[in-house]
Amino acid sequence: MEGKSYQRLPRVKIREMRDDYVKFELRDTDASVANALRRVMIAEVPTVAIDLVEIEINSSVLNDEFIAHRLGLIPLTSDRAMSMRFSRDCDACDGDGQCEFCSVEFHLRAKCHSDQTLDVTSKDLLSSDHTVVPVDFSDSAGLESSEQKGIIIVKLRRGQELRLRAIARKGIGKDHAKWSPAATVTFMYEPDIRINEELMDTLTLEEKKAWVDSSPTKVFDIDPKTDKVVVVDPEAYTYDDEVIKKAEAMGKSGLVDISAREDSFIFTVESTGAIKAAQLLLNAIEVLKQKLDAVRLSEDTVEADDQFGELGAHMRGG
Amino acid sequence: MGVALDSSVDPPGNDKQRFTNARQAPQSAIDMEFLAAPIKSAKDKFALVPEFLKVRGLVKQHLDSFNYFVNTGIKKIVRANNRIESEIDPTIYLEFKDIYVDKASVMSMGKTDDISPNTCRLSDMTYAAPIKVDIVYIRGSHDRKEKVERKGVTIGRMPIMLQSCCCTLLGKNEAELAKLGECPLDPGGYFIIKGNEKVLLMQEQLSKNRIIIDMDKKGNFNASVTSSSERIKSKTVIQMENQRIYLILNQFAKKIPIMVVMKALGMTSDQEVVQMVGRDPRYGALLMPSLEDCAKEGIYTQEQALDYLESKLKRFNFSGSSSEKDSARVMKLLRDVFLANVMCQNDFRPKCVYVAVMLRRIMDAVLNKDAMDDKDYVGNKRIELSGQLISLLFEDLFKTMITDIKKIGDNILSKRSRSSAFDFAQQLTSDRITNGLERTLSTGNFNIKRFKMDSKGMSQVLFRLSYIGCLGHMTRVKPQFEKTRKVSGPRALQPSQWGMLCPCDTPEGEQCGLVKNLSLMAHVTTDEEEGPLMSLCKCLGIEGLEILSAEEVHSPYSFLVFFNGNILGKHKKPHHFANALRKLRRAGKIGEFVSVFVNEKQRSVYIASDGGRVCRPLVIADKGVPRVKEHHMQELKDGSPRNTYQCAMGKQAMGNIAYNQLQRMDMLYLLVYPQRPLLTTKTIELVGFDKLGAGQNATVAVMSYSGYDIEDAIVMNKASLDRGFGRCILMKKFSGTLQKYENDARDRIARPYRDGTDAGRMRALDNDGLAAPGEIIRNNDILMNKQVPQVTRGPQISPSQLNIPYGNAPVSYKGPHGESCVVDKVTLSSDKHNNLCSKFLIRHTRRPEVGDKFSSRHGQKGVCGTIVQQEDFPFSERGICPDLIMNPHGFPSRMTVGKMIELLGSKAGVSCGRFHYGSAFGEPSGHADKVEDISETLVRMGFSYDGKDLIYSGITGCPLQAYIFMGPIYYQKLKHMVLDKMHARGSGPRVSLTRQPTEGKARNGGLRVGEMERDCLIAYGASMLLYERLMLSSDPFEVHVCKECGLLGYYSHKLKTGICSSCKTGDKMYTAKMPYACKLLIQELQSMNIVPRIKPEELEKE
Repeated sequence: MEGKSYQRLPRVKIREMRDDYVKFELRDTDASVANALRRVMIAEVPTVAIDLVEIEINSSVLNDEFIAHRLGLIPLTSDRAMSMRFSRDCDACDGDGQCEFCSVEFHLRAKCHSDQTLDVTSKDLLSSDHTVVPVDFSDSAGLESSEQKGIIIVKLRRGQELRLRAIARKGIGKDHAKWSPAATVTFMYEPDIRINEELMDTLTLEEKKAWVDSSPTKVFDIDPKTDKVVVVDPEAYTYDDEVIKKAEAMGKSGLVDISAREDSFIFTVESTGAIKAAQLLLNAIEVLKQKLDAVRLSEDTVEADDQFGELGAHMRGG
Repeated sequence: MGVALDSSVDPPGNDKQRFTNARQAPQSAIDMEFLAAPIKSAKDKFALVPEFLKVRGLVKQHLDSFNYFVNTGIKKIVRANNRIESEIDPTIYLEFKDIYVDKASVMSMGKTDDISPNTCRLSDMTYAAPIKVDIVYIRGSHDRKEKVERKGVTIGRMPIMLQSCCCTLLGKNEAELAKLGECPLDPGGYFIIKGNEKVLLMQEQLSKNRIIIDMDKKGNFNASVTSSSERIKSKTVIQMENQRIYLILNQFAKKIPIMVVMKALGMTSDQEVVQMVGRDPRYGALLMPSLEDCAKEGIYTQEQALDYLESKLKRFNFSGSSSEKDSARVMKLLRDVFLANVMCQNDFRPKCVYVAVMLRRIMDAVLNKDAMDDKDYVGNKRIELSGQLISLLFEDLFKTMITDIKKIGDNILSKRSRSSAFDFAQQLTSDRITNGLERTLSTGNFNIKRFKMDSKGMSQVLFRLSYIGCLGHMTRVKPQFEKTRKVSGPRALQPSQWGMLCPCDTPEGEQCGLVKNLSLMAHVTTDEEEGPLMSLCKCLGIEGLEILSAEEVHSPYSFLVFFNGNILGKHKKPHHFANALRKLRRAGKIGEFVSVFVNEKQRSVYIASDGGRVCRPLVIADKGVPRVKEHHMQELKDGSPRNTYQCAMGKQAMGNIAYNQLQRMDMLYLLVYPQRPLLTTKTIELVGFDKLGAGQNATVAVMSYSGYDIEDAIVMNKASLDRGFGRCILMKKFSGTLQKYENDARDRIARPYRDGTDAGRMRALDNDGLAAPGEIIRNNDILMNKQVPQVTRGPQISPSQLNIPYGNAPVSYKGPHGESCVVDKVTLSSDKHNNLCSKFLIRHTRRPEVGDKFSSRHGQKGVCGTIVQQEDFPFSERGICPDLIMNPHGFPSRMTVGKMIELLGSKAGVSCGRFHYGSAFGEPSGHADKVEDISETLVRMGFSYDGKDLIYSGITGCPLQAYIFMGPIYYQKLKHMVLDKMHARGSGPRVSLTRQPTEGKARNGGLRVGEMERDCLIAYGASMLLYERLMLSSDPFEVHVCKECGLLGYYSHKLKTGICSSCKTGDKMYTAKMPYACKLLIQELQSMNIVPRIKPEELEKE
């Protein structure tokens, strides 16, 4: 523990934020932290999803398991999930997972009476709790609400009927992907692009153009006024090395120097809609903190010695 | 330009004139103008293929053949045997005026109802139609006779091929088919026999009535003809052995010198024979030894020759009471059996000419080895289709019926006193034909004595695991000749197969190369009327044989004309003649499948119109511009064995089977979310595979991960599995029948017990004693609470007698232990004997687990090695996370370039939103996307041109060292799943004979320590383990052995000691342990008078 401290103070800068999308920079930290954050967002931020389905009537073309599987994958608004109980730890209902603290009940009744096929969608799921409802994409996507009818569960034709009761429970993505609040969580290292201006000036305009075009993504451009190559969008760079190879092929190796900044990450988070993307990040940090607390707690206790043996001493820096 | 169909007898290069094919099948609307319009580029030519497939190809050959039988063949058979005459009173007769097969229907309680194929499938019926005849016959006898005419008398029921002209499905549109519970994509071409779909496989044979020259094992030249006429089938061989030429015919005990035969046929002049063979002195020289032979025997006249032949006849009846004279028998034999395809009455000249031609061909072969025929050449083969097979079967049954009726009729007529008037027609309506057809088709054993036919396994249950498998099953061609395992010839790929038989699709192992599949556009011909064609040929200037002298037969400047193997005559301008015939064909004046070929070497013209020839379409080009260029050959994508493997695996892939898959009641493997491949081929669209997918587009990263991916194993993403990737539904059928017994007692279904020991097993039952749909069911649960009467024989039991004793005989569910399934469907139907039959369809939804088998479409199968959490999976900076990871070691040795192209094409496809094409050889003609274009699309969409991406490790968050080849590949889930195979056992059942554990999972068998495993244990020296495995865990047995004689004794319970039965004492007995199998061996040897004695060394020293 002696010597210098490795503590760093990461900074977050949010670039873009919508309900289901957030893009931010994470600076002054390591890949381990960035990746931990990503992993937690995918697998350990709790949400609510349908976990138990009791089918009363199903005369649709899809069988019971099929429908149950589809229901499970419907994202439900889970802002309350952090404060809910896992039904396995729920004292109130003794773990059968049917009480208000750990579960939400849904009902679905649909029957087709017309000759046109009836789409049974997530909108037909009636919740017993107004805070936990199927995610509504109509307003956020900016489309007309008449077009947005929710997620199709099954289509019914005349005379077919579907009637069921479903219980939604809290869970995490590690157990089943339906509880994962993240559609996409990814990050990239921020590229550091330095153009060797001197060498660049030795190129003709055609050569510059050829060089700029060699990149599959639009990273560089030529300033129409000065005819200089400029970096327009460093983040569009996919670390594909094409421009470097091109420069080598042109006999001008060292034309550009590209390296990844090992302490800066650009995160892209897309949510399924269960939790707002920004909230997802906050929840993830919260979960991460809880996990760290658990480690710290076990470090303090004597049991840790028994648990880890010699390793425990190492962990404490001995 | 248009499409022409040329038979295999035509080498493709020969036929290049412009024409339009006006003759088309009337059933489908074809835009003639479109077809006749000139085609500019190779790409446009493709449009012809779908049009072609409307009329021919795929399973159409089955339908054509069956239709031919029903419309023409059956009438021919009846015309040939149309009269039954009583032997007692010849004025009493029955005559068949006409025969026809009606539409498929069912008779129930005296009422005829239309029937749909799906009803038959569900209720285990046969999809059949009544065979009706119009008859005229004499009713009554003696003085009270009257002539009666009756129409539409049913003589039996013919199983109907689906989509044939007798099928109700023909010409129905999609909505109508859906109403009947049929799938519009189902090609038909099979039968439904007792609820099972049966395919009559195509049979490959050597062509009939053709001269085949080949060399036997001893190096002798043989010219053989397998003759087949309506009346008789025979094989005639002319062999050259030691310079001498002989005839080999089954009816003769010995080889007959050919000259004797010629003399017997009336060619007494040696000179004439030599002239007829040809005037070339070389022929004369080769014929010399045979001529001398004949002279040595002293045979100069026809009578002498006939006497000689008579002496060589095989004697069948030793009594010698044969009614006809033997010389007459020889004449009859020469006329009817010897070269039976050459018809002649009393003038044997056509046979002489035929023999001369055969001799000439042999001599050609002797002089020049190239003149030999290749038995494996596709043109020398005929494919026998279902229509022909059924035709044989029907002919046999019909003839049997006629003789039976005759016998019965004579029996009745010979009786003096009869109560009612004699009526022939009463005998017609029996089940003989119905049962015969049904039995043969359902067992597949064609045992027709009349035609010396006895083959097994001719019909098979249609393979319904996947749509492609089903199509593939119906294009399968089975060889009929015996499998000589050593010869590689029949197994090898023949260049003449091009375009007719698939070079890739053949099974591995024993059947490799023997079982073949027709290619997409191949067609098999049906018989064509010979008479009109023959007279047409005469009109085109053929000089008939009858006007030719022996000398003229082979005169220069003229070609012999063969029609279906028979010599028609000769023609002076063969090419002119052939062209004229071709023009007539293309104008639609003669059948489109008549083929003409001028053989310059043999100086003959061959015309063929017989059935069973494999044909392929050719585009006719003016002035013969070659279309296939060299570069085509370089574009073969995958390594060729991979294609073969995929052919086998594609059939095991799960997916949608047909649109009516949920209405079926049989074993099914379905995929929950089947997809259409992102990279398709034109062929896929043609056969409709894109509408019935059998796989899913998985994003694949080609990299190594975790070490659980060695040996082709794949690593799967758990989140993908959660979301439904590879999820499948398994349907299994169980059924139970309520039977009636002799004493009128019946099985019954009892009310389930709601408490007691069996209540748990009866959870799924409704109050009616049958399992309810939707109920969860576990292993050993009861599906139907059936009870059987304990007394089933003896005095009749009246229905009112309720208190007879019953025993439980429930139908229970057997499935994987610990898994719960669901009752999907329950159907109640009545079977043939009007018993209540209930069927239960059990559904099991499975998600992939470690050990399940997956495959891409490139013969690259692999099992799931491990399942990994999504967060541990690698990801790209776009957020793409693969569904599965495949090890790159799969590529180098397999050379599956197609898979890489598929990945690129699919990746471009998903990113730009258009299905891409990957047809083989398609690039130059524009049917497939070029790799360069794909790369361009990828770059436009911001991917690297080579399909590789920068990937971050999901575990550390660091970028991986290498760029990873990643993109979607269509993956199939194969039917092999661990859950079905997983098996272990401690103690369990044993075989009663050897007392060793049983074998196989189904019998809860043990795991065998085989020879190789044993060797390992010996090498390691683990003798105690060996002892335990091979003896204690298997079949230990204690025997009593006599010290004195070394024989096995027995244990006497009375005297409480072992007794030797040969020494009759129990004094010197000891016990020994040995495997029961060893004891068995000793006893079996004893039974054969071999006495094994056991003399242990230690005991002897004592």
